[in-house]
Amino acid sequence: MSSIVEVDHLYKEYRLGQIAGIRGTAARAFGKLSGRPVKERERFYALQDINLHISSGEVVGIIGSNGAGKSTLLKHLANITQPTSGSVSVHGSVAPLIEVGAGINPELTGRENIFLNSAILGIPKARTREQLDGIIEFAEIEQFIDTPVKRYSSGMQVRLGFAIATSMDADLLIVDEVLAVGDIAFQRKCFDRMEELIKRQGKTVILVSHNLRQVERLCSRVVLLDRGQVVADDDARTVCNLFYQRSDEKIKQSVARQGANNQLGGDADQIQVLGVKLVDAEGVATDQVDYDGTTRIAIDLRIRAATDNLIVGLGVHTTDLLYLASTDTEGEFSPGTLEPGDYRMHARVQHFPFLPGVYSFRLAVSHGSPPSMAYYAENLCPVTVGFADGQSRARNGEFGFVPLPTEWALSQVDQDQD
Amino acid sequence: MIKSIQGLYHYRELIGALAWKNISVRYKQAYLGIAWAVLKPVVLMLIFTVVKGFVGIESGDVPYPILTFAALLPWIFFQESASEGINSVTGNAPLIKKIYFPREVFPLTAMVTKTVELAISFLILAAMMVYYQMLPTAQALWVPLIIGYTMLVALVVSFFGAAMNVYYRDVGQMLPVVLSLLMYTSPVIYPLSLVREKLVVQQAAGDWSDRLYTLYLCNPLAGIIDNFQRVLLKGLPPDWSTLSPGLVLTLLLLPLSYLFFKRAEAWFADVI
Repeated sequence: MSSIVEVDHLYKEYRLGQIAGIRGTAARAFGKLSGRPVKERERFYALQDINLHISSGEVVGIIGSNGAGKSTLLKHLANITQPTSGSVSVHGSVAPLIEVGAGINPELTGRENIFLNSAILGIPKARTREQLDGIIEFAEIEQFIDTPVKRYSSGMQVRLGFAIATSMDADLLIVDEVLAVGDIAFQRKCFDRMEELIKRQGKTVILVSHNLRQVERLCSRVVLLDRGQVVADDDARTVCNLFYQRSDEKIKQSVARQGANNQLGGDADQIQVLGVKLVDAEGVATDQVDYDGTTRIAIDLRIRAATDNLIVGLGVHTTDLLYLASTDTEGEFSPGTLEPGDYRMHARVQHFPFLPGVYSFRLAVSHGSPPSMAYYAENLCPVTVGFADGQSRARNGEFGFVPLPTEWALSQVDQDQD
Repeated sequence: MIKSIQGLYHYRELIGALAWKNISVRYKQAYLGIAWAVLKPVVLMLIFTVVKGFVGIESGDVPYPILTFAALLPWIFFQESASEGINSVTGNAPLIKKIYFPREVFPLTAMVTKTVELAISFLILAAMMVYYQMLPTAQALWVPLIIGYTMLVALVVSFFGAAMNVYYRDVGQMLPVVLSLLMYTSPVIYPLSLVREKLVVQQAAGDWSDRLYTLYLCNPLAGIIDNFQRVLLKGLPPDWSTLSPGLVLTLLLLPLSYLFFKRAEAWFADVI
């Protein structure tokens, strides 16, 4: 299939600081005349050597942490800004949903805004008139359509913006974080609209989002940007997992810098958590676990005063903090009254049920009755789950977090008796 | 140039929609609505007429109120198109940063907006002509051309000024000062015939008089206002000797101003 987007060796440079006023210019001129070194404005590369070719019909996600250059890249694709060097060419019409409702004017009514925004997006008036009812219905604002938008709730405004923008019949849709609008029901609707555009109408879509689940689900290919460079460009799952890992490292680093600020509760005088780690059978720290394998977690505790009713809770979550499972010692395991001293709690999960990916643990420690929380932390000891030798990657579905053990059967249904 | 005109045709709906938005937003919650658009020339006309009672300005055989009102129409049209045009790009920063379309749409929209207000002022002028019993002759058919020429002048200023204003907001600050200066060097309060009388007939500035008069006419507004009054109020054909210096200058500067705008356009979103 032919390329609809061609980006070659794209560089974008910005200068830091601000445009000099007359005082700055005079100071510089004086500096030059007197032979002193003149301070040039620092340069900053927002994008460095980006190469990206997108075929028509592809759905490409662009992910990366804040400031990675995602929006700058989109701005180039939408022709809003020009590259410092390199080339960007887009064949076909572009619907830039960079920010829905960019052109919405609060003084105008909903109906007037539909026509204005359609014109801004380059939709012919005749077409807008045809689609008017559909847009109003989609945005769920029938009742308010002749009221100025300034009296709308913020949710109504974004719904209106999204409805207008997606009514455009363009070859390439550039979507920047627009699916995160409205309440859950409307988000669902937006998502369905996007899926329809992608799957049924075969549109080419470039999607920027921090919601990796959405990206994973909608996109066939994902590009990971970091500090203006393409770090990875592969299928959705691979790149998203890589991004999770990188984010984890960042989180770990920032946690290390800040110290144990995730420690909760004023009871640190009584119980202190010295460390949590994942260990293998020999007790050596690890960050690798086999799918369905045995997982051992060691929790080092320091009891400072005699403690009753110690409860330790442990949970597993994804790197984007989706809680998957939890377990605790309450009713299962009671150590009785603990004298001051250092202890190690061993937790063993016989069959770690999660499919390959990156997961983290959260830990809660409480004591006394009623229980009072002594420690709570998330994002502890990230673990990469992989397949052990012999476990077939192809056999296990790639979707979801746990396998679904299923028995299948097929029987013939007799039509006459039905 | 031809390509860009074709492009503009393509964007006519957008210009129309944006101009309509400007007008509709400006007068939406105003009780008097669009009547405000004509208030400015009417008030200025009244002031000038009162002032004229003190200082005595020779207006020939045309009554002064209608003469100055006819001068105010193209002048205010130019002045407001230019100042709106210059602020049109910076005023639409959110759109510039979000959606692409040719940026000249903004100065053009400003001009179209002002054309609508001009049309309303024409109603007042027509009423005054009825009152003074001055029926237009066939020469009045020149009016659209003169207005078209005024548009070109406004565009020269808008394109250059709007692009500069993105980088240096000084332009927007300076504009009111420059425009009011320009009003006094245009035959708005006084008729052009008075300037000709002083410089050409009386040679008031000595050897420099003729050159000074040509320089005066290099201000396109001088030719525009004078000829507007001629064809509409006096029923005379246009006077090319007063039109041509400004017209030549405008036609020379328009492509330059437009090219300057187009070259600056690429960086608007980064700098604005």
